[in-house]
Amino acid sequence: MVERAKVKIPKRAKKKESKDEQEFPFDISPMYEGERVRKGDMFVELGGPKQTGFELIINLPARNVQDMKSTLVGDDLDGLEEGKSYPYAMIYYIAGSQLDNDIEPVVERRNHDFQNFIEGYMHLNQRYDIWVRINKDAMKKGLKSLNQIAQATMMLFKNEMPFIEKIEALYITDGDLVKKLLDEYAMPVYEERDARVETLHDEDVDEFYSCTLCQSFAPANVCVISPDRPSLCGAITWFDGRAASKVDPEGPNKAIPKGELIDPIGGEYTGIDEFARNESGGGVDKVKLHSFFDYPHTSCGCFEVIGFYMPEVDGIGFLHRGYPNPAPNGLTFSTMAGQTGGGKQIAGFLGVGISYFRSKKFIQADGGWRRVVWMPSELKERIEKYITDGVKDKIATEKEVSVIEELKDFLKAKNHPVVTGVVREVDGEKITDGWVEEKEVEEIKEEVPATQPEAKVTEMPVAPIPQISMIPQSGGIKLVIKNASIHIEKIIVKRKDEK
Amino acid sequence: MAVIAVTGKGGTGKTVISALLIDHFSTDRKVLAVDADPDSNLPEAVGIKDYSTLGEIRELFQQNRDSMGTISKEQWLEGKIYGEAVNESKHFDLIVMGKPEGEGCYCFVNNLLRSVLRKLMKNYDVVVVDCEAGLEQFSRKTVENADYILIVTDTSKKGLATAKRIIDSTEELKLNFKNIYLVGNKVNSNGEGNAIKQFAEKEGIIFLGNIPYSEKILELDFRGEPITKLLEDTELNNHFREIFKGIGGINDH
Repeated sequence: MVERAKVKIPKRAKKKESKDEQEFPFDISPMYEGERVRKGDMFVELGGPKQTGFELIINLPARNVQDMKSTLVGDDLDGLEEGKSYPYAMIYYIAGSQLDNDIEPVVERRNHDFQNFIEGYMHLNQRYDIWVRINKDAMKKGLKSLNQIAQATMMLFKNEMPFIEKIEALYITDGDLVKKLLDEYAMPVYEERDARVETLHDEDVDEFYSCTLCQSFAPANVCVISPDRPSLCGAITWFDGRAASKVDPEGPNKAIPKGELIDPIGGEYTGIDEFARNESGGGVDKVKLHSFFDYPHTSCGCFEVIGFYMPEVDGIGFLHRGYPNPAPNGLTFSTMAGQTGGGKQIAGFLGVGISYFRSKKFIQADGGWRRVVWMPSELKERIEKYITDGVKDKIATEKEVSVIEELKDFLKAKNHPVVTGVVREVDGEKITDGWVEEKEVEEIKEEVPATQPEAKVTEMPVAPIPQISMIPQSGGIKLVIKNASIHIEKIIVKRKDEK
Repeated sequence: MAVIAVTGKGGTGKTVISALLIDHFSTDRKVLAVDADPDSNLPEAVGIKDYSTLGEIRELFQQNRDSMGTISKEQWLEGKIYGEAVNESKHFDLIVMGKPEGEGCYCFVNNLLRSVLRKLMKNYDVVVVDCEAGLEQFSRKTVENADYILIVTDTSKKGLATAKRIIDSTEELKLNFKNIYLVGNKVNSNGEGNAIKQFAEKEGIIFLGNIPYSEKILELDFRGEPITKLLEDTELNNHFREIFKGIGGINDH
């Protein structure tokens, strides 16, 4: 954890302070949100493409924060030349009994909103990309100091986010100091926050978020977005969901209190089950976030990658949108997506976002990476570094195999976990038996030797099929087959005569 | 803020009319020009050469979103759009929609785009949208609504058939517009002009006027010069002003 402390202002720096200002020479209102200051109307530009700039929220103990005080280091507006660009840093120290360092990015995002409430002041971007323009009209109306901007912004922070009990601002236009602080003070904090994305897990939070943005395409689908499971389209992380639900609690991203943990390995929570039942109108009873076979997450029409079970090898393949050729099972992305999409829960197929491959809980209930047997090389290269140790070289791509037979040989040669049985990483449980050499096949060989001369039937291992549910679109029958090997010569299906 | 959508069959002169409208309104009002037709060349017609498109920014977003960590995606997009996709010229700003979407899911990014554009459009008195041949984009795309619809037609049967289709579609699309206008373009004779006028009367929409067939427009087009050069001709200039005066509502904005 990067230590949080106040900036040490160099002794000889040009400094200006202000405290508790109430009157401002500009309007403050949400109606100015999105206000654009055109180049021709601009007095000065701060930060932006030409100059260094950043904004940062630092959470400190209350005794270290002087409430509603602002300090400007460097030239103020009267020392800046019209039409030019200058370096700019905005640092806020906040304190409050409910605050911790995790709240910093949530508060920091709001600097953008609040500063845009200020008439004649355009704020764009975030972190080290900030870009501010001040309108000439604002100067005419009496804007004199950046301290006035700091004071107004702090006032908005305290009004809109009451959990901020104390706030203090430090603005800097001194180029050398801005650069030094960006490198030494701000960057370590930003990096720490980004690392948090990787280390934050489902168990660390109380709420997940729903997403119904794509319901115009998949009316029955509801994405559940958790720290370990981003949306299927790959666009929305738990952090995005949290930010969106804070801005618009009734919008497409709603908070789902996760409730009690029912299945820690599959990722089932009472809150999600209840939510899924309500949103699907009863169509979906349960959802397990990190399961492939047992009550998997529903699939919308937007998913980036489709996972598919191949019973012949008892393994799972993944195929991304944009890969034009069929997978080893003979099916293309669009064929499989057509079967799965639209908010259905289909065991054996699962839509996921590419960023789900990064997840530490990636289909952990069904063996995680140890169950993965095939993916296109393009996809594999993209996510290579997230693959569990020891499995990477055992996952085939289109470069090595193109049909199931070749896949079998490949997996056998590499001694892939599915061949001998998958031991689940998360709890060490052996969840599959591995391939069982089938004795009956020899009899079949004798019966029909001529029809398939090229198939090496005797060597063909037949995998036990763990559990496949086939739910036809129209509804009616549900077929659950467990640990079965079936040989059928002929099937006749007849409509029952109604008398 | 008033949004005016310029539409009609391809080749009838939508872009020429859009460019002239932009010029007309930007003398005393803040104008945002939106090129929403991937096949059009509105930037060239209004004299803007180097520009970025919204489509490019959308693709950049799709490529980079996985590595954005905890930063706000909406703010990222807004910064890109305000900083790069709003092309400033002296009297007005221009946004080019550019290439349509590629593969994959655009629900999220389009939702963000809509929200950013909604905010951006508030900055202007008039938004002129040069559309594809139809209004379907309003129901599903990033610009949500039009206050005024201006249909451009030439004297061909097809031009008028497209105009008819557009008028019919406004009902289905539930666009909350105030008026539909019709302008005849490339009109050679009084007879042709009258036919267009009668069409407007029959359909119950407002006829603004006819623009005669002009070699000058073709010539400017050929040389890739801004259409607004047309207005150096005082007589033509007055004629256009007279036609655009008819767009009643907008003049109040």
